[in-house]
Amino acid sequence: MIPEWMKEVEIGPCQCCAVNVGKKKSFVEKSISGALSFFQDSLISEGFAKRDGLLQSLDPRVKLVSAIVLVVAVSLTRDIRVLFAVYLLTLLFAYLSKVEVLFFIKRVWVFVPIFAGIIVLPILFNVFMAGDSLVTVATLGAGAHIGPIALPSTIYITRQGTMFAITFILRVATCVSIAVLLFLTTQRDVLFKSLRSLRVPKVYVLTLDMCYRYIFLFMDVVRDFFTAKKSRTIRSLSVRDEQRWVAGRVGYMLVKSLDMSNKVHDAMVSRGFNGDVKLLHDYAVHKRDYAAIATVLTFSLMLALISQNIIRI
Amino acid sequence: METIFDLQNVSYTYLGKFEALKSVNLTMTAGEQISIMGANGSGKSTLLSILNALVYPTSGEFYAFGKPVSEEAFNSLEDNEFGRYFRKKVGIVFQNPDIQLFSSTVFDEIAFGPLQLGLSKAEVKKRTEEVISMMGISSLKDRAPHTLSGGEKKKVCIASILSINPDVLLLDEPTGGLDPRSQLWLIELLQDLAKAGKTIITATHDLDIVEQISTRAIVFGEDHTVKADSNCDAVMNNLELLTSTNLIHKHMHRHGKLMHEHLHSHDGENHHEH
Repeated sequence: MIPEWMKEVEIGPCQCCAVNVGKKKSFVEKSISGALSFFQDSLISEGFAKRDGLLQSLDPRVKLVSAIVLVVAVSLTRDIRVLFAVYLLTLLFAYLSKVEVLFFIKRVWVFVPIFAGIIVLPILFNVFMAGDSLVTVATLGAGAHIGPIALPSTIYITRQGTMFAITFILRVATCVSIAVLLFLTTQRDVLFKSLRSLRVPKVYVLTLDMCYRYIFLFMDVVRDFFTAKKSRTIRSLSVRDEQRWVAGRVGYMLVKSLDMSNKVHDAMVSRGFNGDVKLLHDYAVHKRDYAAIATVLTFSLMLALISQNIIRI
Repeated sequence: METIFDLQNVSYTYLGKFEALKSVNLTMTAGEQISIMGANGSGKSTLLSILNALVYPTSGEFYAFGKPVSEEAFNSLEDNEFGRYFRKKVGIVFQNPDIQLFSSTVFDEIAFGPLQLGLSKAEVKKRTEEVISMMGISSLKDRAPHTLSGGEKKKVCIASILSINPDVLLLDEPTGGLDPRSQLWLIELLQDLAKAGKTIITATHDLDIVEQISTRAIVFGEDHTVKADSNCDAVMNNLELLTSTNLIHKHMHRHGKLMHEHLHSHDGENHHEH
């Protein structure tokens, strides 16, 4: 029944078999495990929304509107002291909402250097923004240039550039903190449904909700692809072969997701879906919600007035 | 008994060349418990999709509740009274729970059907709570589907259909991937639903459950035609039929209601003993 070559059984590797250690993970493996750990984090962070904290007790629509208003107000603010005070307030609210402050800080600062740091980096140097010297980076001498672009004789980090960069990063960090706080203290489904209060069409709310649900499923499929490949990879593949494999899996995922979307649609139709989305949500607004929205609106107005120098501090 | 489904010479072909059903003639009446049996790829799931008006015969006629079922009639439920009636009366539990669980929480999943069928919000909530309680899944109601185990997902899938309260329940391989305790729970639930007068049509190749959940068995051959349509006992005792339709192997034996299989080697194919 089975061919001859399949009847050969090896007891173990030969004594001379070398064991190499310390080889780094491949780019693909690192990317996939990074994405998976992000989703696992999301899963863990859903637990915060169920805790009995300050922000969890508020109506999701109030939180959503408050977060948007606050982000706009913070974006207008230029005073570093005010920004720092608002950032500290987000930490206080994280603490009062029973979110571990260290986890919260880490969650915010993972993204800030990536998105804000890279954008603001050139502003530090006198090449892009003139100012007083803080730290000299290089002395090039007169007439230095890169192609047609003339460079100053000394390249240094400016005091004004540094202040601008700090203000910018702090502003981004505060806005991200507000958004992260909203996500951590509100259940995803409730948060998505509260978008209806901003007149977002029902079909977008449903689609967003379903996307969030199926991302996890497809991440599991991607992980299974990679695990299956790893279990059958006897020697390392060339970069070209790896790229070909990734491209093939991307294509397969597209086909699989299309097939699944058809089946999910069938499942929805079978339960009476006819294109007219009906969502179940009822909210109860309490006195504390009115107090919260009034406080946030007043506070945001104050920030806007300070930013316009109408109120001086 | 009232005829609910009537298939007349129904055939179905995927992409114009892959045959899934061939000249099927079947009548199903209200209150029946039917097992649709067949090997992998014999057309069981396609038949369930046709019975749920999710796909339509490429040839032949399909009548449900005495009315013809066609794609045109089901394109939109908006102004289609029969379509709404059909969706209320017939529910399907898919083989893959991830297809069926598309909402972000278990509660929303179970509430989805009643909401779409136009019940009031208060009634939807009451019904959802009752089904959750009946199925013993109160602890899961705020959970996201991707955090559930296989057995839990199956329970939620069934709950999401029962909340619509269909008279006809279609199940595609319901015991697939379930552990013994969950299987037993499912069998008891289907028996209770049968006693309540529901029509239960199950596609399966799990012979262990057929006699427990159905009184009639329809067997599909690998050529996608109906090979037998009779009472369960007659079908389950017809070893020649079960062997020829690839439902059992010749080294799998039945002793009364018990079945077991012998490990065997082809080196001594004609020599095995009990």
